[in-house]
Amino acid sequence: MIQIASDKKILVIEDDKSLRNAIVEKLMHNEFKTVGAEDGEKGIQLSLEWKPDLVVLDLLMPKMDGITVLKGLRTNFGKELPVIILTNVEPDDKMISDIIEYQPTYYFVKSDIELDKLVTHIRETLKLDDSQTAGRSS
Amino acid sequence: MRSQAFSDHYRSLFDNMVDGLAFCQMIFDAKEQPTDWIYLEVNKNFEKLTGLKKIVGKKATEVIPEIASSNPELFEIYGRVSLTAKPESFETYVEPLRRWFLVSVYSPKKNFFVAIFTNITSQKQTDQELKNARIAAQNVLEDLSIEKSELEIARAKEEAILLSIGEGLMAADENGNVTVINESAQNMLGFTSQELMRKPWTEVVQMKDEKGNQILKEKRPITMASSQATAIASSIYYYVRKDKTKFPVAINVTPVKLEGKIIGVIEVFRDITRETEIDKAKSEFVSLASHQLRTPLSAIKWYSKMLLDEEVGKMTKKQKEYLEEIHSGNERMVSLVNALLSVSRIELGTFAIVPNKVNLVAVCKEVIEGVKENIEHRGLYVKEEFKKVLDIEADPNYIRIIFQNLITNAIKYTPEKGIITITISENKTDLIISVKDTGYGIPEKAKKMIFTKLFRADNIVTKDTNGTGLGLYITKAIIEQAANGKIWFESEENKGTTFFVSLPKIGMIKREGVKGLYYDSNCK
Repeated sequence: MIQIASDKKILVIEDDKSLRNAIVEKLMHNEFKTVGAEDGEKGIQLSLEWKPDLVVLDLLMPKMDGITVLKGLRTNFGKELPVIILTNVEPDDKMISDIIEYQPTYYFVKSDIELDKLVTHIRETLKLDDSQTAGRSS
Repeated sequence: MRSQAFSDHYRSLFDNMVDGLAFCQMIFDAKEQPTDWIYLEVNKNFEKLTGLKKIVGKKATEVIPEIASSNPELFEIYGRVSLTAKPESFETYVEPLRRWFLVSVYSPKKNFFVAIFTNITSQKQTDQELKNARIAAQNVLEDLSIEKSELEIARAKEEAILLSIGEGLMAADENGNVTVINESAQNMLGFTSQELMRKPWTEVVQMKDEKGNQILKEKRPITMASSQATAIASSIYYYVRKDKTKFPVAINVTPVKLEGKIIGVIEVFRDITRETEIDKAKSEFVSLASHQLRTPLSAIKWYSKMLLDEEVGKMTKKQKEYLEEIHSGNERMVSLVNALLSVSRIELGTFAIVPNKVNLVAVCKEVIEGVKENIEHRGLYVKEEFKKVLDIEADPNYIRIIFQNLITNAIKYTPEKGIITITISENKTDLIISVKDTGYGIPEKAKKMIFTKLFRADNIVTKDTNGTGLGLYITKAIIEQAANGKIWFESEENKGTTFFVSLPKIGMIKREGVKGLYYDSNCK
C-alpha cells in the first residue's frame, strides 16, 4: 500500500512557541497532518486521544521533561511508535543512557540541522513512497 | 773483712737501685722547726731522677732555692720523720723540677732521714689524661643529649603539624599496613586511630568508582604506587566511610624509598565533594547557557530558510540575497556557540573519550571527501602521501576533528590553484600527520598566538571572515589532552604553511564525561 504524507499524523511536543510553530508549519508544508503540544503533559494527553504515527519530542521542558514523556509514550505505545528527539541541550552520559533505554528513533541538535533534513528523516522513518520534500534548498 | 763485704754489697745496691736515694741530715731552727736539710749521700739514680748533680754536702735550699715555697710539705714530713722515726710515704709534685715523685722516708738516726723516691710524672700524666678524657666524654654526652632533645622537639613539632593539617595523611609500610594516620583522615573516614593503625589500609577503607563498583586491591593507588606502576586517574574515586556513606577524593600517593628499595607509601587525600559540586554546577551552567543561546539561533535558522526556499511566498532576488545574509550570519553564530561549548568542556576537562580502532588513512579520506566541493570550488589540488600505518586506539570523532581543522584551514587560507599535501607516516613511537599548503602563510608576529583562543592572524581576517578563531585551540587541546601528542607548524608568509601532528601509538585512554566536542567545518 502506498504510504503518503497526508495520511500521517505527527505530534510535535516543544515548549518554545517560535520553534514549535516552525516545525509544525514545515511539516504542514510537506502535507503531514501536524499538531503541536506546548508541554509534556499536554503531549501525553494528545498522544492518547489523537494516536499520532510519529512524535517529534524536545528534551528540556518545564513541568515534565522529555525523558519522562518518552517513558510515558513507550509505556502507552511500545517501541513501534517512532519518536525523534530534537533538542539544544548537550546531554551528559547519564542522560544519554536514560534516553537510550527508552529507544528514541533518532536524535538531532536543533541548531545544527535544517528542517529539510528532519522532513527527509521522517519520510524515511515512515517509509513514505513519494519523495517530494516541499521547499528543497536551492 | 766481713763488714767490708757487707759494705760493698750495700754499696752495690745503693748504686744500682732503680729508685733514687738520699741520705740527709735535718736542720732545725731555734724554735725546733725544720728549715733545711743537707744532702750527705745520694745514689746514682738520684741524679738521674732529679737532674741534680754534685749536691753532696749542700743544703736543699742551696740546691733548689724555691723548694721552701714550692714544697713546704717536704720540710714538714722530713722534719717529722727525723724526729719521730715513724716512716712515711707520699706523692708530691716538685714544681722547680716539674716532676712528680712518690717518696718513702725513714729515719735511721735522730735528725737524720733517708728518702727513697720514684719519678711518677708519666703515671700522673696518664691519670690526668684519663681524667681529661672522662671530662671530655661527659661533655660530649651532655651535648648529645641536648641535641637529642632538640631533635625530639623538632620531631614533635613536625608531627603536630602533620597530624593537624586539613588533608588526610596516611603512611603505610611495604605490606600496606598503616603506620601513620592523622586526625583529618580519621575524621573524614569515621574510623579511629586504633581501627586503622597497623591494619591493612585497603581492607579497612574501601574504595569505589562513580558507578559504585568496588575498586580491587591491585588497582588501588597505594598498591600501584608501591609497585611503581603508573596510575592513570581518569575517573573519580570515592572512599567509603565507616558508616558506609561515600565521598569523592583527590588522592596523591608517593612511594617511600630507602637505598633504592620501596619501604612504604605516603598518601595525602582530600575530600573534593565541594569541588566536584562546583565543577558539576559549572558544567550544568554551560549546558544550560548553550541551550538558551541555541534556541533563538534555531528559530532564525529555520524561518530564514523557509523564507529563502519560498515556502510561504515568492521572494525577489534581492530579498533572497538579504535572507541569505541573515541565514549565513546566523550559521556563524551557531558555529561559535558550538566551539565555545567545546572550549568550556576542554577547560573543565569534562569531554568524553571513547576509543576505538581507528585507521588514520580512512578517516582522512572521509574528511577529504566531505570537503571535495570546496576544494574544487577553489581550484585547489590535493596530494595524498599515505604510508600504510597500523590502526590506533582513539576516539574517531576527535581524529576527524583534527583532520577537519587542519584540512579546512589549508583550504581556507590557500588562494586559487594552490596545492595541499597531506601525509600520514610513522616513526618508532608515533604516527605523524602533516598538512602542507601553498597559501598565505602565518606572519612572524602571529606565530606565537596561533593556538590561542579566538585568535585570527591579520593577513587572513580580511580575506575570510568565516572563522571562529577556536579551531586550532580545540585541535591542540584534543591532541595534547586526549592523545598525549604534539602539534607544531612551519610557515612563511605568502609561501605557505605546514602543520605537523604526532600521536603516540599507545593511543587514547577511555574517559567518561559529557559527550563529545564540536568542530564545525563550515567554510564556503
